[in-house]
Amino acid sequence: AATLPRITSTKLALQNFDVNYGTQFGERWPSIRVSLLSEQKYGALINNFSSAEELIKGLELQGARDFVYEAQARTWSNEVPLSSQVGEGVEMAAATEPPSLSPNIKCFTFPKGDITAFSPARLDGSGLLGYYLLDAASVLPVLALDVQPGHTVLDLCAAPGGKTLAIIQTQACWRLAANDSSVSRTGRLRRILQSYIPREHSTEDRVRITSFDGRRWGELESNTFDRVLVDVPCTTDRHSLLEEENNIFTRSRSKERQTLPLLQSQLLLAGIKAALPGGVVLYSTCTLSQLQNEYVVERAVQAAQEELGVTVHIEDLSPLTQLFRDTFHFAQGMRLGELVLPHLTSNFGPTYFCKLRRIN
Amino acid sequence: MVLRWASLFRIQQLSFSESRHPLTLRKCGQEPQQALQRQLCSSLRNGPQQDLACSRDKDRPETPSQELRDKLKLLNGGTPWSCAHEETVRSLMDLGFTEDQVIQLCEGTSSQMPPLSTQGLATLSTLTTLGLNPSSILRILEKCPELSRINGNQLQQRINSLRKLGLLEGSLQRVVAHCPHILTLTPKRLGTSVRFLREECQFTGQQVTEILRSAPATLLEEKRQLQNKFQYAYFRMGIQHTDMVKSGLFRVPLEEIRSRHVFLERLGVYETPDKKGQTRIINPKLKDFLGTSQDFLTKVARASLDEFEVFRKLLAREQDEEKEGQEEEDSDSEEDEAEMGYESEESEQTEYTRRKK
Repeated sequence: AATLPRITSTKLALQNFDVNYGTQFGERWPSIRVSLLSEQKYGALINNFSSAEELIKGLELQGARDFVYEAQARTWSNEVPLSSQVGEGVEMAAATEPPSLSPNIKCFTFPKGDITAFSPARLDGSGLLGYYLLDAASVLPVLALDVQPGHTVLDLCAAPGGKTLAIIQTQACWRLAANDSSVSRTGRLRRILQSYIPREHSTEDRVRITSFDGRRWGELESNTFDRVLVDVPCTTDRHSLLEEENNIFTRSRSKERQTLPLLQSQLLLAGIKAALPGGVVLYSTCTLSQLQNEYVVERAVQAAQEELGVTVHIEDLSPLTQLFRDTFHFAQGMRLGELVLPHLTSNFGPTYFCKLRRIN
Repeated sequence: MVLRWASLFRIQQLSFSESRHPLTLRKCGQEPQQALQRQLCSSLRNGPQQDLACSRDKDRPETPSQELRDKLKLLNGGTPWSCAHEETVRSLMDLGFTEDQVIQLCEGTSSQMPPLSTQGLATLSTLTTLGLNPSSILRILEKCPELSRINGNQLQQRINSLRKLGLLEGSLQRVVAHCPHILTLTPKRLGTSVRFLREECQFTGQQVTEILRSAPATLLEEKRQLQNKFQYAYFRMGIQHTDMVKSGLFRVPLEEIRSRHVFLERLGVYETPDKKGQTRIINPKLKDFLGTSQDFLTKVARASLDEFEVFRKLLAREQDEEKEGQEEEDSDSEEDEAEMGYESEESEQTEYTRRKK
């Protein structure tokens, strides 16, 4: 008996994206599409706990630069006043002051158009790795989170651990709670922290790793955290186009995929509950889909108001995107949150992030 | 035209090593030109050597100028058959070569093109018979000095093979002028290429002629290269024979075809037809996407030059990695902790995500 040819998950993902993103992005879609299907660009998150100076010199010799530092240095030296950088038609951001960012994060990238690859990190004398390679756009939500010294931070969906690692690099958390619903992924998170953080900095009282269902956090620890990062599970667009393994577009997972926005809203709502009044909740994904991005934020904000009487304001991130526009391609005209678009010359992302502040 | 046959005959008389000159050996009734030649030659043999019906070009000097003689004296020092031989020089001039060109031929213009030898004379005459003018011939020899080392007989044979492949007058001359190296191919080698195109690639005779006409360098390519290009176009891109020929696909190097094709494919602008030959989108015409880079970028890809340049580098790297991957097929080492330090979402592996398609 002849069986129907099985279409691969990656093919299904591509078809889905062509339909949805073709409409959403119009003429911009081909440029994003070719980038997603080509090799992504990496950034090297420096491990502040390792002997960094020589390593940094080495990276600089290769031509890489700490994009975080470079962008900020420009504003300090007042070479380029932010207000004059606003392009035609773009509204002047309310704040022309440099945005408040999480400190001590160093992330090296190669310039636009340069496809040099970083070599794998090596162990230093104390058995720690010098840097962690990740999508440089992943660092942006952590910068936007604005962790300040003494803060208690919750990373609700922490695995695989890149953003968690970045939070720890700020050396500003008093306490960090890192959670992921999957036990195996939490195990991986632990291993990563072991390779980067000296034991004295990741003791149980300072870094607590758990494997609970994130949606329950409202019941577990409400009104507790200064900062909450909600980096939700999503369709992981780039991964879904290239990897068959663990692909959410497999037909058997279609229900799971279709209920993602619901899961995401619930997670975000839990994050809002867990935050202190006045605290910041940072929502981020690695998908281009409006249904998983803006839509989820709107739903959660609405639910917070209606079900909990909690008011949440969205903070303007345009000063941040202005700051980093030389490294990343940001989508124009976003009404809610910011979106890093993959582009062949800077093939980072997709990353969506939105900064919420709990008012009461 | 008639004049040339006369000069050619004189050259033939002068070059004894090439006594079996193609002109005089031509059998009856083959090509019209040859028939005329025979008539001419026989009349020359029988009658006096002058008084030909066509007059000499009045503008051309009848004898080499003193200047030319002086220059050539410097070169003279070889065998009696050296280029500096007056008769030879006169013949060359009668063929239509200017004094400067004669010097070029005798000196050799560069290390690539050595001074004209006796064999070279035969080549010149064969090319002239073909109907090429002196400047073209000179350019041809500069491009392909090896031609002057080919036996005149063989050269004529090769030209005939090309004719047999369907190259008509006009096309034949253009092909030789554009790609003289095609005459360095032995008939056997030429035959192999042609057989490959006919039997393995399934091109019709007419299509092979067209390929020969529009992209003669194709026949110079190694079979492997040709095979790769054909297979890529046919299987990977889903292009049919007629389109391959019409679009001039064979003129473009495989690397360029591949870069542009994969670029368009990933942009979503080109789709390989399925088994039924159908696509969900309308593919751009092959002719358009093999055009100039400018046209390709603005009209077909609608992408910036920056994007395409970065893309090519990325693709080249992917190709290298794929090759390496194939070479390492047996070594399937587990790289876990050593590869720690790479993030890939949703994957339990810490493997650097490689592009798979």
